[in-house]
Amino acid sequence: MRAFLIFTVFLAAASAEHCYKEIEKACDPTSNKADSTPINCNAKYGAIDGVQSALQKYVNDHIERSFEYLLMSTHYANYEKSREGFEKLFRGFSDSKWNTAIDLIKYITKRGGQMRFPEIDSEISSNEDYEMYELQSLAKSLDIEKTLAVEAHNIHGLAARRRNEFHDPEISSFIEEKFVHKQADDIRALSGHVADLTKLLDGRDSSLSLYLFDEYLQKL
Amino acid sequence: MKSVVLATVFLTCVVFASAQLQCAQKKPNIPTDWIDMASPCVKKMRGQIQEELKASMQYLAMGAYFSRDTVNRPGFAKMFFQSASEERDHAIKLISYLLMRGELTRDISHMIKKNLVVPKTEWATGVEALKDALNLEATVTKKIRDVIKTCEDPKDSSNFNDYHLVDYLTGDFLEEQYHGQKEIASKISNLDKLMDKHGALGEFLFDKKISGGE
Ligand SMILES: [Fe+2]
Repeated sequence: MRAFLIFTVFLAAASAEHCYKEIEKACDPTSNKADSTPINCNAKYGAIDGVQSALQKYVNDHIERSFEYLLMSTHYANYEKSREGFEKLFRGFSDSKWNTAIDLIKYITKRGGQMRFPEIDSEISSNEDYEMYELQSLAKSLDIEKTLAVEAHNIHGLAARRRNEFHDPEISSFIEEKFVHKQADDIRALSGHVADLTKLLDGRDSSLSLYLFDEYLQKL
Repeated sequence: MKSVVLATVFLTCVVFASAQLQCAQKKPNIPTDWIDMASPCVKKMRGQIQEELKASMQYLAMGAYFSRDTVNRPGFAKMFFQSASEERDHAIKLISYLLMRGELTRDISHMIKKNLVVPKTEWATGVEALKDALNLEATVTKKIRDVIKTCEDPKDSSNFNDYHLVDYLTGDFLEEQYHGQKEIASKISNLDKLMDKHGALGEFLFDKKISGGE
């Protein structure tokens, strides 16, 4: 118990004075340059070390998803499918995943972290198919958005623990502000699309329904 | 045996019941004479989409590096993040072109490799990154020229010289490549000269200059 207390005090002192002491040493004309380069004068504090790898993965997932959505939107833009509304919907998701990835990289570095990109060249597994029917693609999109939302919850959970190395209200608030609310909106909108289209396709002629539904998506 | 039959009947009913949603539509009957691109040219174009995305990821890694707190070069970071998005836009432009010509109606699920590995993630100086960027652009320019060559003379039975695409790639893509390359070369020149006598100060000032969008 006592050792723990001392350790905690040491940690607190470390984050309070480390940089200054290092700079003092670095400025001291008698110390040698090689072993006095400051290493603790950075933006790191709080729980960034504990949460960093989850954030890095979240960036990479967004990049992957942006490519998947780009393929889905491409499919609806070919002359046989010719569904401008679906093209627009998925292209919007692709753009927003891409921009979010960049914002997240900026955020990681704001908190003193670094981005890590995937190191293994993994092919898309051969059974993945982005050339789907309209309703299937909406269902797929709903699943993707939920997966990303749950991942945001997990990161929030990591940063919201009581243990110091995981407790970081700045990170959990960032996740709330930039992710969870928007994700709830997207998920609700998609589930509404799926509900509508499921009802519309439960009839004898789906072609007019799909045509009108696509027009509706174009105007959103 | 009887239960197997029953189960089969039951399953068949389930399949029929769930097939009541009309998700699929009949394939439209559209004349295809207007679709005239030569397949070696289409193949090259598809490859170029991947090349643009690879360049995009490399720029993304540069942006990430220069954003780091202890590197702290927001001007460089901003420039490289912008380049990353521009490269992605190039990929999308190529896709749109192929769609306009009646291509990409099938086999697109594997057109993009999702997990693109970035070959390099750290740079000693801003000049080093700019030099890498210039080399990267030079490689891309060469690849676009290759696409043009193939689309001008696909060397297949069609013998189809794709004037329109060749003109588009030359007038739009190459135009941007050559202007962009000159711009990067000028940046390297200025920064390299500054760094000669004023290393840290030179890079600091240059970064502030480009972060203002100059
Ligand atoms: Fe490009």
